[in-house]
Amino acid sequence: MTTVAELLDQGVKAYTRGQAEEAERCWRECLELEPENERARAYLRQLRGDSAPRPEVRAASAGSFAAKPARSAPPASRPAEKGRAPAPPRAEPKPVAPAAVRGPGPQAAGAQGPGYAKSPWDDGPALAATIVLDPGPGSGLELDIVAEKSDLKPLVPERRPGPAAAKSDVDVWMEGARELFALGDFSGSLEMIEKILRVDPDHAEARAYLRQNEATLIAMYESKLGPLASVPRLAISGEEVMWLNLDHRAGFLLAQVDGIVSYEELFSLSGLPRLDTARILATLLAEGVIR
Amino acid sequence: MSETEPFVGIDLGTTNSVVGTVIDGVPRVIANRIGQILTPSVVAVSKNGKRLVGNIAKRQAITNAENSVFAAKRLIGRRWGSKEIEDARRILPYQLVPGPEGHDVRVVLGGRTFAIPEVSAMVLAELKADAEAFFGRRVAKAVVTVPAYFNDGQRQATKDAGRIAGLDVLRIINEPTSAALAYGFGKQMEKKVVVFDLGGGTFDVSVLDIGKSVYDVVAVGGDTYLGGEDFDRRIMDWLTFSFAKENQGIDLRQDTMALQRLRDAAEKAKIELSAAQNAAIHLPFLAAAGEGKAALHLAKQLAREKLEELTKDLVDRCIQVTERTLRDAGIRPAQVGEVLLVGGMTRVPRIQQAVKQFFGREPSRGVHPEEVVALGAAIQAHALLYPQKDREVLLLDVTPQNLGIMVVGGYFATIIPKNTTVPTSQTHTFTTVQDQQTSVRIAVLQGGSEKAIENELLGEFILDGIRAARRGEVEIEVAFDISADGIVAVAARDVDTGQRQSITVTATSGLTENELRRILDENLDELLERKQSGELERLRERAQAMIEEIEGLTPQVRDALDRSHYGKDALQKAEGVVSRARAAIASQDLQQMAASEEQLDRTVQLFKGLAGGAPVPGGEA
Repeated sequence: MTTVAELLDQGVKAYTRGQAEEAERCWRECLELEPENERARAYLRQLRGDSAPRPEVRAASAGSFAAKPARSAPPASRPAEKGRAPAPPRAEPKPVAPAAVRGPGPQAAGAQGPGYAKSPWDDGPALAATIVLDPGPGSGLELDIVAEKSDLKPLVPERRPGPAAAKSDVDVWMEGARELFALGDFSGSLEMIEKILRVDPDHAEARAYLRQNEATLIAMYESKLGPLASVPRLAISGEEVMWLNLDHRAGFLLAQVDGIVSYEELFSLSGLPRLDTARILATLLAEGVIR
Repeated sequence: MSETEPFVGIDLGTTNSVVGTVIDGVPRVIANRIGQILTPSVVAVSKNGKRLVGNIAKRQAITNAENSVFAAKRLIGRRWGSKEIEDARRILPYQLVPGPEGHDVRVVLGGRTFAIPEVSAMVLAELKADAEAFFGRRVAKAVVTVPAYFNDGQRQATKDAGRIAGLDVLRIINEPTSAALAYGFGKQMEKKVVVFDLGGGTFDVSVLDIGKSVYDVVAVGGDTYLGGEDFDRRIMDWLTFSFAKENQGIDLRQDTMALQRLRDAAEKAKIELSAAQNAAIHLPFLAAAGEGKAALHLAKQLAREKLEELTKDLVDRCIQVTERTLRDAGIRPAQVGEVLLVGGMTRVPRIQQAVKQFFGREPSRGVHPEEVVALGAAIQAHALLYPQKDREVLLLDVTPQNLGIMVVGGYFATIIPKNTTVPTSQTHTFTTVQDQQTSVRIAVLQGGSEKAIENELLGEFILDGIRAARRGEVEIEVAFDISADGIVAVAARDVDTGQRQSITVTATSGLTENELRRILDENLDELLERKQSGELERLRERAQAMIEEIEGLTPQVRDALDRSHYGKDALQKAEGVVSRARAAIASQDLQQMAASEEQLDRTVQLFKGLAGGAPVPGGEA
């Protein structure tokens, strides 16, 4: 059965994909399960009151992506909230030489019309600082070269028609990843980041978010497990195991729980990334399969 | 428990190792820290960078195959480029590289290169730690066993492994000799004993001549690629094909996690079938069925009869090897006075039947087949450390292979044949092969091939200043002398002039003294690092406990603050402390974690005070 947290999460993901109806359905379902859920109520309020809506969450005031800088400031610049981790470091653009090119920066925020509420990202520094180029004798402004040298490739419009769509997707996903990170939905953010890295494995910002999401999620799941030197045991009978709904990776990990090996040893022998192992073990523990 | 200095006997096996000792005159094995007698001889560096030894290493050996070293015993003391190493390279999933001088073999593990004795040392160190946990104090003295066919280099490499592990290896003894010792043979009997040793990865047959407390290995044979793992693989294949048949051709061999579980289940079923007629194999959620579909289960019943059908050729091979070994030694099965079963695989009923049928007699089964070698080694360690006149056991070391020199045409001339009891000395006379020859090269070799190049070169020297004469007229006397410690001295002398040249050959493992010292120093660093890692773990556990305590107290603190006019920012500050502590845990930075510990501790004290109704000291967290 889908939990309230999962429904909230699904709603946010649907929303970032632009599927407002699906998002509304998820949040409504969430309210059916838990009528007092403030987050679901806030999301729905925002959805109804905004034609191009963004959910309002906790301390974050409603903001429109259309009005905020194309590359928003990192979530670290926002006030600390419970469950929120420090933001990943940003990729620093490398200075090149004279002649100025304006990247999307704080100035872009000034384009906001008076009808927009202030976004929590508006206070932060822009991702792309001013880059000075030396065109050199006879040479024009080679945007591609600048982009390569300054790690700003995703900001530079692609000339070839094919990958242009992919680039636009990357921007949308990156926005979604930032949004979800700020909401404390590190799994959702990670999912978006993984999508980006499949298209652009060298995406510097995505890589930074990947590291931070993973570290935060690992710490969260591990804290649920308790001391890693402790030894988990099966809390249900072998027959009951057959009735669980597990994937083969969880099945593998569960098979290793023998009342002898500790959590730390399970991390070593799982052969899975630490995050996956921590997530599976935390789920098994939460569902009472192990104790 | 005895008050004497603790000592151990170690059976350092290809697949599993066992450690034993003697307490109050009674030999016994020492279970490892998880209560098992067998410690898998597997060393690994896991995907999260941890060094694993034994059971844990074995349990991830398939999912992390390229960084899990098993069967290091097949490689120890071997030369790079030898047939054994070339064979191993073809089948081993981990990477082998030549040593810095190009002679010995190194293994790549977790991105680092290790000498084979270093890998074996990790297994020995694990056994040493188990023994220390058992005795509650340091253990250093040990007798370690090796196969009877190991050459001097392999024995020396095993000794080096012991030294790296912090053990003082009193003696290296042959496995079949050790097994016979555990049976207490040799006191009042004179007979031929066959040791049938079927382990996890290798099969060894040895014939011992026992008489008047003298154990003499007279013949050895075997197959270094035949053992329990081959039986497991047959069960795995059967399970894999059955599963594919029942599940639209899903091939479990493509999934390392499924294979790891299959291997564990196959081994378990095989062991069960030694005592029962049927074994149930249940592996829930074994394989992915495809996107959005539930994982597939495997449920099968394996009958003993089926296992025997699947492994018939393997049992036949054991008997064929035994037959050949006895034939080479010129012994008929009827001449054998006793047959000892060694190795866990000899518990398999079909093997016992086949042995009984071949020798025409019941094999001895007084001692557990997995424990017998380690117990014999422990008995020998006890005898060496605390000699008693009436219980003296004389173990004769024999030369494991032929020793000789290279002669004209690139052939090998044996001077001391294999299985010669040491200490010994032999002299042979050779002549010059060219007219006016004034010098001769003496290449000292060890091995079983007629061609010099196929044997191991132990050392060489030039004897010059010999009398110039027609070929065949000058006689050169070559003398081999092997001391009780296995040191080989070779001397060549011109019989006419008395001109003499000699060489002393000490077995080498491929590691130089400097390298050994470096490894020992590195081990010390590793020990310090592990201590630091222990400290990291302690800090992490303490931090997590305090975080939980803070979170548990938060509702009460919030209530207390709502009723108060001051200290409103205490919760916010506490959240900051918890968040920083989590980041420190994630970064595994010892300094950061130590700093967090202090802040967390202060927060806990503050929260306890607030929850208990005490005034807020300025809201400091």
